[in-house]
Amino acid sequence: MKLKPLTLILAIAAASTAHAEYTGPKVEITYLHGFTGPDRPVMEALVKKFNDTHPNITVKASAQPWGTTWQQLAPLVASGRASDVVVINEDQVTGFIARGALTPLTSADLKAGGITKANFYGPLWKTADYKGRSYGVPVHSVALAMYYNKDLMKKYGINKVPTNRAEFLAAAKACTVDKNGKNPGEAGFDPKNLNTWANGVVNGWMGGTIAYSVLRQNGVNLVDKDLNAAFNTAAGQEAIQFLADQITKYQTSPANATEQSEINAFRQGKTCFNFNGVWMLEQYKGQAGLNFGVAPFPQLGTKMKAAWGGSSHLTLPKQRAGYDKNKRLAALEFIGWLTEPEQNLTWTSTGGLPTQAKVAADKSYDTNPINGLFEGLPNVYATSGYPWVGQVRGAWDAAVEAAILGKKSVKEALEDGQNEANKQIDQARKSLQ
Amino acid sequence: MSDMTTKTAVPRKRSRRSSYNTGHPIVPWLYLLPHAIFFLGFIIFPVFYGLYISMHRWDPLLESQPFVGLEFYANLFKAGTPQSEFFWKTFINTAIFTVVSVPLLVGTSITLAVLLFKPIFGRAFFRSIFFMPGILSVSVMGILWKWLFENQSGLVNIILTEYLHLPGIPFLTTEGWAWVPIVLGTVWWTIGFNMTLYLAAMNNISKAIYEAAELDGATAFQQFRFITWPNLSSTTLFVVVTTVLGSFQLFGQPQLITGGGPVRSTQSVIMYITEEAFSNNQFSSAAAMAFMFGLIMLIFTAFQFWLQTRELRGSKK
Repeated sequence: MKLKPLTLILAIAAASTAHAEYTGPKVEITYLHGFTGPDRPVMEALVKKFNDTHPNITVKASAQPWGTTWQQLAPLVASGRASDVVVINEDQVTGFIARGALTPLTSADLKAGGITKANFYGPLWKTADYKGRSYGVPVHSVALAMYYNKDLMKKYGINKVPTNRAEFLAAAKACTVDKNGKNPGEAGFDPKNLNTWANGVVNGWMGGTIAYSVLRQNGVNLVDKDLNAAFNTAAGQEAIQFLADQITKYQTSPANATEQSEINAFRQGKTCFNFNGVWMLEQYKGQAGLNFGVAPFPQLGTKMKAAWGGSSHLTLPKQRAGYDKNKRLAALEFIGWLTEPEQNLTWTSTGGLPTQAKVAADKSYDTNPINGLFEGLPNVYATSGYPWVGQVRGAWDAAVEAAILGKKSVKEALEDGQNEANKQIDQARKSLQ
Repeated sequence: MSDMTTKTAVPRKRSRRSSYNTGHPIVPWLYLLPHAIFFLGFIIFPVFYGLYISMHRWDPLLESQPFVGLEFYANLFKAGTPQSEFFWKTFINTAIFTVVSVPLLVGTSITLAVLLFKPIFGRAFFRSIFFMPGILSVSVMGILWKWLFENQSGLVNIILTEYLHLPGIPFLTTEGWAWVPIVLGTVWWTIGFNMTLYLAAMNNISKAIYEAAELDGATAFQQFRFITWPNLSSTTLFVVVTTVLGSFQLFGQPQLITGGGPVRSTQSVIMYITEEAFSNNQFSSAAAMAFMFGLIMLIFTAFQFWLQTRELRGSKK
């Protein structure tokens, strides 16, 4: 894999994180990750580079699907056979922490690995924090983004990429044109026969992800400080109502949009905007005739900038009694090295976002369309920090779906969703006692 | 007499072999041992361990795994618990799928088998064509049928709107309609297997019966009604029971096509049990649901056997 040139900033950053490297006896450590797609060769090349430059440490990496790891990790830890280093995603990590599968990274650990948490984006680092302690170092980061069709926007006279609700609504109205050339609000406008439209409000996991971003922008989180579900507030309802209004009130979204139908529509040049993860970038780049850009998810909520983010963290599972201390030191060395700016820059070639501002500042991004997103990275929030993310997300996604499809009123949908989530949380709490 | 002597000589040889096998009482057990090890390790032990899990608050990571008795079973019948609400909702979803899909799966496969049993032109080709989807993995099948039935951009909706000028149908987000791609996809995917079973069974029906029927002037329908259908009864029992059990185990198709939506309306029991175990980390609750579901399937299968062997039992009387 060819490395992109590093700027002076990165060189200084690398030098500033220099630390006493592992000098103990030769050890072999195992490393389990879920990068099984096109990103696998990049990870394998990085591991090889580490092994080549660290004669005292041999990292034996293995890749397996994420879901398999989530099912196997608990029994492996319980039987004292977990890998030395395991990559865990943002929605799973707190659950494993709360159940005692992972060991905290103390200040001494971070120092031993040459890891400076201040270098990373704040919300990204905090994703693997629990009860004031850190349990993981971010190695991979993704976020919700707004893709926009430059040609279509130009056609409809939209000169500025929308960054807030008012700008988005104005652009959305201009982009939405029915088969007779009429815009929403005009007499005879037919929302069932759209030629082009702004962006379809979708359901399922992606619908919940977009809705979560607007919820955070309204200053609400899925859970409160006691980690109970708390999304059914006036501000929470306002967020979902705004999304539902795209279909019924503003008429800038077709009804019954799905994630896939919106991807197809954006590729075909039928929509001005598409909200999806950064992982769509390569697909859209490969679409002939699609002249598009990438920007941070606009502030559709009323209080703050925010967008959903996902991440993967390098963690140290709990090991059996008498675990070799040198293995832990070697694992920390590996984690520190793999998350250094230079390696992170290499890793971003897989479609991941920079985990730290210093990497985002690299000049190799100057012509990359994804650099339009970097400004929004400090405002990216993961659904993490509580052990029952799965339960809350399940109830949240179902509530958003019921509201968007008009099966329930927004208030009723969020009320039911919150009740369901809290019942699930009660049960999860009993299990963790 | 000499014949008889010869005949008695042969069994004597057999009896020597047989005495070798049973010479030591442990010998037959040694033959059974390989299977017994797998049976104990992969069937008996997991079943009893599953029962143990369902009666404790179990998590491999936690030191304390207290006994809770039938709490997780009771949750399935206690009003207000998510388990009681979603287990039975997803059970009804699965039952709807079974009721709709089984007659289609059995009826279509027997129809195809009857049509392709005759020496028509291209018979081997069509047999292969109908069997072929079955070799695909569920993920390929699911993605294919999701594409076909996408709300705006699926082929079915493009044909409806662009060519037939009819209003499109939002299959994937409308309760009821969402079952269409799941049921049709399942029929397309699994029909070849049942068809092959029927074709094999039809090979065993003596051609002489059909010839006699033809001489007596029986129509094609009469031949099917009074010869083919009764002779296929044991195959039909097998096909119906395995298809019902297969339908109850519905998982991959809705997982890939609708994700269980809209609003959990196509979520199957197995999908919910998986969610409870691996998304909610409620292993004991999921184990209790799995046992409850297994029990229901067992009762249902016994009922089917009873129902379909009624005639046989009646004829014995």
